[in-house]
Amino acid sequence: MSWIREGELTIIERFCANIIKAGPMPKHVAFIMDGNRRYAQKCHVERQQGHSQGFDKLAQTLRWCLNLGIREVTVYAFSIENFKRSKEEVDGLMDLARQKFSRLLEEQENLKKHGVCIRVLGDLPLLPVDIQELIAQAVLATRNYNKCFLNVCFAYTSRHEISNAVREMAWGVEQGLLEPRHPIHAWCFSQSCGQNIPFGTCVKLSFSSR
Amino acid sequence: MSGAGGLAWRALHALLRALLCLQRALLACLRGRAAAAAATSCALLAPAARALGFREARAAWRRRGPARGAAARGRQRWRADGRALRKLPVHVGLVVTEEEPSYADMASLVVWCMAVGISYVSVYDHNGIFKRNNARLMDEILKQQQELLGLDCSKYSVEFANHDKTGQVLNCQSALKVLSSEDEKADIVKAAQNFCQLVAQQQRTHSDLDVNMLDNLLSSTNGFPDPDLVLKFGPVDSTLGFLPWHIRLTEIISLPSHLNISYEDFFSALHHYAACEQRWGK
Repeated sequence: MSWIREGELTIIERFCANIIKAGPMPKHVAFIMDGNRRYAQKCHVERQQGHSQGFDKLAQTLRWCLNLGIREVTVYAFSIENFKRSKEEVDGLMDLARQKFSRLLEEQENLKKHGVCIRVLGDLPLLPVDIQELIAQAVLATRNYNKCFLNVCFAYTSRHEISNAVREMAWGVEQGLLEPRHPIHAWCFSQSCGQNIPFGTCVKLSFSSR
Repeated sequence: MSGAGGLAWRALHALLRALLCLQRALLACLRGRAAAAAATSCALLAPAARALGFREARAAWRRRGPARGAAARGRQRWRADGRALRKLPVHVGLVVTEEEPSYADMASLVVWCMAVGISYVSVYDHNGIFKRNNARLMDEILKQQQELLGLDCSKYSVEFANHDKTGQVLNCQSALKVLSSEDEKADIVKAAQNFCQLVAQQQRTHSDLDVNMLDNLLSSTNGFPDPDLVLKFGPVDSTLGFLPWHIRLTEIISLPSHLNISYEDFFSALHHYAACEQRWGK
């Protein structure tokens, strides 16, 4: 399954999209991919199947975002906290990541056509080396595209990202690029965290209320 | 917006707002069913009730629980309520996203938190109204503490721990902080500047900084644990900058408004928290 599902909208979907686009639209939407295991339980399938179908739905959602002209999408795919899960589940998720990032590299024409720049945020050294290599290839291959941006948060927690941003600023001071007396604004953090536009909307894809 | 698309959007928007209002009215009606008999009898006695100021007293009771004379019975009930929950949050954040905060209603919420046995309470609105008028909030809390918990308040003392004071949260049943949007973001920025200063003085290297070190450098919640629960009041689907570093694992429950909130609504949220399954990423 491709990252961005191909196919045009139905007539009704196009009609609804036109109505929605006539009003104020968020420029950046974030999706929290939650509820795959509960969905699998509800449908009486394996957890791995739940995760795989979660990705399929994400692909469809990314197509909707493209159609609605939402230029930046962030996906919270895997938290550092998720490493606490069973080895079997974590290995299954890493296999899914391998499959999907490999697929991404096969779809370069599609990504070029839509001008999608892929960014992956997180503590990547925590991931298996082969996945790090696939991610690096995907990010490098799309770094010059700028029509829309897909940020994938993988091995991510907000605390690690904030700490990383402070570490980068400290590195700048060490290298003599920044003076410590230069005012550090909250804006610097959003730039260090690699996002163009702050979130307009954050959508949690699950039944739970948090 | 112009043309047929804009007109259709406006119509859809108006329809959605109407449906939302209807949903809220239905929910309010369902909640009011339990008090429907009392409400009916009150309506019949309305003229006399108005003369006696009964409606105001009823609104006060609904907000504040047992009346002044039943404070002792109320105290026992609240403590028992807290103990009956499967889990009670240690630190609750009360986040108001509405434009006009109410000191009386916020004071009620703080006193109820104390009464059920919650040890740490943070009050937050992103405009900083409560923080700027800290003294007024404090007075209202002390007044309600006396009113709702009786004259013997010593068991329920609350310590007002401003973020620039430390070591004042010991030996108290409950501790309270009043925060605004400047606190946390400014705190992270300040911690970053302090660390960069240490690096410039070659007392540290950039690779020394990790999550634990930055956590120790932050001071906005000195002495307070991370919030277990945030009760968010108002229509805005955002915590509007409330302790972004500290709420990574916090359960967030949204309530329509803090205005005229009842003890039943507050306790219902605590009950919801007690029943929720927290997997911490597992």
